[in-house]
Amino acid sequence: MNAPAPAAGTLAELSNDLADAVARVGRSVVAIQARRRIPSSGVVWGAGIVVAANHTITRDEDISVTLPDGDTTAATLSGRDPSTDLAVLRIESTAPPVERSDDTHLQAGRLVLAVGRPGPQVTASLGIVSAVGGEWRTWHGGRIDRFVRLDLSVYDGFSGGPLVEVGGRVLGINTSGLSRALALALPGTTVDRVVGELVKKGRVTRGYLGLAVQPVRLPEEMRRKLGLSGTIGLVIVNLETGGPADRAGLLLGDIITGLDGREVGDPSDILALLGSEGVGKQVSLRILRAGEARSLAVTVGERPPSRGR
Amino acid sequence: MDGRAALAGSGRLGAELEAVAERLRRITVRLRSGRLGEGAGVIWSHDGLVLSNAHVVHAEPLVIELWDGRRFDAQLRWRDPRHDLAVIAIRCTGLPAAVPGDATALRSGQLVLALGHPFGLGNALSLGVVHQPPADLGRNRWIRADISLAPGNSGGPLANAAGEVIGLNTLVAGGLGHAIPISVVQRLLQQRGERAA
Repeated sequence: MNAPAPAAGTLAELSNDLADAVARVGRSVVAIQARRRIPSSGVVWGAGIVVAANHTITRDEDISVTLPDGDTTAATLSGRDPSTDLAVLRIESTAPPVERSDDTHLQAGRLVLAVGRPGPQVTASLGIVSAVGGEWRTWHGGRIDRFVRLDLSVYDGFSGGPLVEVGGRVLGINTSGLSRALALALPGTTVDRVVGELVKKGRVTRGYLGLAVQPVRLPEEMRRKLGLSGTIGLVIVNLETGGPADRAGLLLGDIITGLDGREVGDPSDILALLGSEGVGKQVSLRILRAGEARSLAVTVGERPPSRGR
Repeated sequence: MDGRAALAGSGRLGAELEAVAERLRRITVRLRSGRLGEGAGVIWSHDGLVLSNAHVVHAEPLVIELWDGRRFDAQLRWRDPRHDLAVIAIRCTGLPAAVPGDATALRSGQLVLALGHPFGLGNALSLGVVHQPPADLGRNRWIRADISLAPGNSGGPLANAAGEVIGLNTLVAGGLGHAIPISVVQRLLQQRGERAA
């Protein structure tokens, strides 16, 4: 007198599809030994190229990778970008690169799996994409093409593992390194861009002025007198000696109101205008000094590499 | 994809989930042990054999409440603390019993369902996936599941998409549900001379 068994149907089919997706992507997910704790995950992104979460690669040498077939091989670090929490390793292996899915039209509600290999076996968690937003910047200034928030558990060792849709195609890379509170994924578009730069140059170049600023409210009278439309300026509170801004003659206390003809009202406006394309370019800074408006030309330098983890 | 077909599909999915939930609800009991202990159990035979965790069954009296509200005084047949398994009996026949599934062929990512009484909340269903199948069934290794469990789920069923019981939910560690594979339970039952389900 068993309770009636439901006929194997849609639910069983979905269950199979999910397990198939994990098995499929699992052929391209590796375990990375580059820290003292349990291994982290990595994804074979191209021939011999493994993408990892930068914060899980705590040493530059003596890195090994356990492949899906169980073999362990040595890996070399080709480059790291702390600002997007990505690193690229090179291995000699015929493990197939993941199949990619277009993430440009990703929407909230997509059924997804987070897959990892924090040991010999591939492991998974299930959830949905809970929110998709526009471009954003990480704490360290890295540009991420889309904000992808997940409703799923990112387990220990999952950072660097793929975000997979039913069918086994990869939407991005999961990492816990960009937010303490949220489960976030780096969209494949961003991974492509950063991996391209890391493979080519070993690093991601970023424009750099060598100054620190703080927003200040501009007095009404000064705004009227100088014909300024913005209410906020950025006062220079620190200057790197010999840095691009210092060499261009900027002084502590100067208030920046515009960059290349565009108004700036928030420190992130400056970061946003200093992409990786800007290095070596001359930009024009509009500033207020001693109550007078003036312009200064600054040559954008390259941010010195940090050993950020 | 044709929008209407997709909707019809998701309707079927919902109906199937409800059918599995109902099936699990009927084979899952609420178990009170002593004054405080509370957990879940799985009806294993039509004539009243019930499985649970040893850590749930730690004091007398034992009371089992069925899905339909009937209550029974239960007798502990044996406990195996090393495998955290307890076998209990109630005097009742014609019960719906668990259909054991295959716990030796699990795949990471396949759907699993759990029913239990987390924090005393009766008959709560949760849905998740196999995180990691047992590595070596001979050594009482766990089924690790990405599923939301809490105290009160202990001893309850972990089932596959067909509603077949593949494990007994036993503990939570590292955010993951850990279940004793039903194949291990079956082996232990056999060793003790219990009848097969």
